[in-house]
This record gives sequence, structure tokens and C-alpha cells, in this order.
Amino acid sequence: MIALLVANSLALASLLIMLSSGLALIYGLRDVINFGHGAIYMLGAYLGYTIALVGGFWLALLLVPILLALLGIAFEYLALRPLQRRSHIEVALVTLGLGIIVGQIIIYIYGGEARSVDAPKVLSGSVTILNMSYPVYRLFLIVMGLGSCALLALWLRFTSSGLYVRAVSQDPSVARMMGINADRLSLLVTSLSTAFAGIAGVLAGPYLSVDPGMDVVMIVNCLIIVVIGGTGSIGGAIIAALLFGFVQVAGSVFLPNLAALVPYILLMVVLLIAPGGIGRGRVLS
Amino acid sequence: MTGDLHEPAAATCGGSFSRRSLAIVGGLIALGAGAVVPTYLASDFALRLGSEGLLLGLLALSVAFLMNQAGLVALGAASIYGGAGYLFAIGMSEWGLTPTAALGVALLTLLAYAAMLGALIVRTNPLAFMMLTLAAGEMISHAVLLEGLRDYTGGADGLVVRINGSIFGIDAAHFADPAQFWSLAWIVTVLVGLAFWGIARSRLGAVLRAIRENEERMRFSGFNTFLPRLIGYVLVNVVAAMAGFLHVLNAGFVSPESLGLSVSTNTLVAALIGGISGSLGPILGGLLFSFAQDEFGARGLTQLLTGIAIVVFIVVFPRGVVGGLSGLSKRLGWRREAS
Repeated sequence: MIALLVANSLALASLLIMLSSGLALIYGLRDVINFGHGAIYMLGAYLGYTIALVGGFWLALLLVPILLALLGIAFEYLALRPLQRRSHIEVALVTLGLGIIVGQIIIYIYGGEARSVDAPKVLSGSVTILNMSYPVYRLFLIVMGLGSCALLALWLRFTSSGLYVRAVSQDPSVARMMGINADRLSLLVTSLSTAFAGIAGVLAGPYLSVDPGMDVVMIVNCLIIVVIGGTGSIGGAIIAALLFGFVQVAGSVFLPNLAALVPYILLMVVLLIAPGGIGRGRVLS
Repeated sequence: MTGDLHEPAAATCGGSFSRRSLAIVGGLIALGAGAVVPTYLASDFALRLGSEGLLLGLLALSVAFLMNQAGLVALGAASIYGGAGYLFAIGMSEWGLTPTAALGVALLTLLAYAAMLGALIVRTNPLAFMMLTLAAGEMISHAVLLEGLRDYTGGADGLVVRINGSIFGIDAAHFADPAQFWSLAWIVTVLVGLAFWGIARSRLGAVLRAIRENEERMRFSGFNTFLPRLIGYVLVNVVAAMAGFLHVLNAGFVSPESLGLSVSTNTLVAALIGGISGSLGPILGGLLFSFAQDEFGARGLTQLLTGIAIVVFIVVFPRGVVGGLSGLSKRLGWRREAS
């Protein structure tokens, strides 16, 4: 029972980690929260659905991140860079608007009804571990989530670009004075972040449903996670995503009547105890 | 708003006393004329659209005030707007209150909610504030759909609101009449606009703007930076609640859509279209949005255009229609530089 609970919450947390660490990365470099992140995830899911119909799930998992990384580059050049002299709130509102546009275009093309994506043959069905039967696809999700989490940590810890990202996140002005090109880093980070949102979208297909409301649900979840984790703290976001996943899964098991509200209760409790979140995010002016 | 409009005309008349009294007289005439004249000129359909625009303008006034004075963007206007309707309906049907009492109870409940939520979220930075208001709004729209509350809220179907008797001595039937409702909505909107105009020039407005510019420095200078922002937050939510009450009195039903994120983004767009500085812009923005929605809504384009409007108005016209026009008229020398 407990093992099942933990496994299910890890599966959900895997998706949330991929999305919220991307948000935290952009925030660290640009001080901007991308309110359109949910729409990018939705775009990933719908593109994944279409490509999976034509060429199968694995092709979708390969192509969608590449396409969305290109979108991230466009986002960086067309929105973030021209607007970097504007206030952070204004840029955040622009991303909100862009997110609405992307979401509405998707609904315009695909219509309002939910779509379902089948998991590939290898991943459908379930395996028996410790006398428990568990869906293979969720194990795959956990592996992907924790794997990308580990890759992210390795990148940030052991490469020079990762070092620069950490430096800019901690103190942008000093990092720039030391000769770090924040614009070039931002290009890398933005495209990484949208690519990960795309992967999360493709992975969400067989696990959750692909429907028109998925962008709002996901962006709200991610915002809650980013606030709980301490805005801009990547480690905090990962821990908060794990906590969020566990609370949501446990909520739907033990408090089915209130399950929809449990994440918000978690948010309020954290805000009451630690208004800055649990991680050591950069305090923002 | 009217004072601002009439200033240049009065300026030529000389003394400050006559200028002020002229502005007041002019304002009262505009208030009365706006409430009465359209009811003779416009069709019922146009009046309904106009009333919707005014209610959206009320919401936009509240969002714009907080944006302009405190630098805080609230994306949760819908939860108060729709919540007001729900609480009012539940107060009458479930708790057996008279309409006036139900209105009072609903307002007090919303005040308590806004004060508690505000106490939690105004301490955070503006970006976190924006995220948290979005999250809180979604929380309320999920809460209404909870299975356990279905008997109270009607789930996805919403509630039909039956008003037995009168509210503040006004018979409930009057609220459903397009012409009379326009007059009421107009008067409330203009008075709220004037109130915000006054508050922006009061000590509270000055303190809020100073906190917006540099919260830390205000704290070091011995100001309480928490309480003014909390008061501002509760204040704008009272206005959002008024819009919600007016809506439910007019429409006679509440639905989960009134709590949806799109209400909050429409409000934001109305404020941005008109321009957030001052009281004229948001009201005008609400009216423009309402008529534009009628034009494009049938083709299902409203939300798409909402998104485009947010981007275009922030990037290209950050001061909105009113700000742009006043900048233009200044450049052409039509009005004197405001002191």
C-alpha cells in the first residue's frame, strides 16, 4: 500500500519535476516566470498525439523536444530579449498572453474533446514487483523523471555552462561583471526548458489525458510548486514537486472528497510557515 | 474621472473655488446624463451589453487600481466576482435569509476571505503575488465543483437565484430591467471610479506607490508596508464583490463560468485596453471589451483575441487607449500639462 502510494506519487512528480525545474531555470536567469509554460506542455502533448498517430510514440518522444526547443529559441529571440528592459511583471503578463494564444490555437485546430494516446507495446501492461502488480508505463515515467532530474543535477554541478547558470541565478550583476554572457546562457536554458515541457507533454499523453484544460491545470500546479520550492530554487522545486506529488496522490486516496483542494491547502500551510518557500531561492526585489 | 475631464474647461474660468464648484456641477451633470440618456437612445440589447461592460469595468477598476498603485497584478478577480453570486444565492436558498441580509452575510464572508488570503500573499514579491492569486482563483473554482458541496452549489449546472422581496427597498424585478439596471450600474461604476480617483490622491495611495517603488526603503523609514497593501487588497475585492452582486441581481443565476480564469483574464484585458492609470480607462476598457466580445464571440475567438490583446497592449500600447489619447492631446497642445 505504502509502496504503491510512493510509486504513484513519484510518477506524478516526474512530470511535475520536468516542468517546474524548467520554470525555475528561466526564472533564475531572467527573473521571469513563464506563465505560458502550461501551454507549451499542452502543445507538446498535442504534437505528441499527432506524431504518435503517424510514426508512433518513440518518434514523438524524439521529435517533440526538438521542435519545442526551436520554439524556445524563437521565444527567447522574439519575446524575452526584446522585452528585457521592461518590468518583470509586464514580461510575465506577456507570457500569460502568449500562453492563451497558443492554447486557443490548439483548441481551434483539435476541437474541444479529449484525446487519448496509447502507450507503446513494450510499455503497456504491468509487471509484478514484490508481489504487487504495477503498470510498466508509470515505472517508465519514474525512470524518465528521475533520470532527467539526475542529468540536470549533473549538468548544473559538473559543467562550465551549469556553473555559469548557477552563478547568474545567485547574483546576476556580479556574474555579468565576471564576464558571463547571460543572453547566450538564457538561449540554452529557455530551449532546454521548453524541450523538457515538450517531453513532459508527450509522456503525459498515455498517463493523463490530452484535453483542452490541461494547460491551466498544469501551470497552476507548477506555480504552486515553484512558490513552495522558493522562487528560482531548482533544488527547492524538485523537492516541492515530490512533496506535491505525494500530497496529491495521498489526498486522492485518503480524502477523495477534498482531493482537488489538497494542493492548495499544502500551499497555504507552507506560506503560513515559510512565506519564502522551503528552498533557498534568490530574494527578489 | 469626471473631475479630470472637466479640468481644462474650468481652468479658463479663473479662481480655484469656482473651478472646483464648476467641476462638481459638471461631474453631477455627467453622472445624471450618463445614467438616463442612454436608456432613451439605446436598444435593450445594447443596454445589456453596456451594463455587462460596466460590470467588467468595475472589475477592471479594481485590478487597475492595485496594478497602478501597488504594482500588484491580481489574477483572481473571478473568485470574488463569482463567489459573491454564489454566497448570495446560498444565503437565501439554504440559510433562509432575506435578500438584504444575504447580501450582508456574503459581503462579510468575502471580506474575511480576502483579508485572510491577503494576509498570506501580500507579503510575497509581486511576481509570487500574481502566481498566488491565480492559484487561489483556481482553488475556488475547483471548490465549487466538489461533490460534497453539490447540494449547495449545484455543481457544473450552477444555481438559479430567486429573490423574494426587495433589496434596500428596491424591488428585485427592477434589477432585471435593462434600462433601470444600466442606470444603477452606471451610478455605481462612476462613484467607484471617483472613489478610486480620490484614494489614489490620498495618503493611502501615496504610501502604496512608495511601497511599490521600494518596499525595503519604506520599511527602513518606519512605515508599515504590510497593512497598506492588505487594506488595498481588501478594498479592491470589495469592489469586485459589488460587481458580482450586481451581476447576480441582474442575471438571476450563477454558474461556475463566473469563477473561471477567463473572467480574470478578461478583466485584465479590459484594464489594459483602457489604460490602468486613472479611473476613466478601466471603465472605457470594460465597455469596449463587452462590445468587441459581442462582435467576435460568436466565432469563438474571444479567448484568442484576449491573449493577443494582452501581448499587444503591454508591448505596443502600455498606457492603453486613454493614456494614448491624453498623450496625443498633450502633444497637440489641446490640454495643459497636469501638475
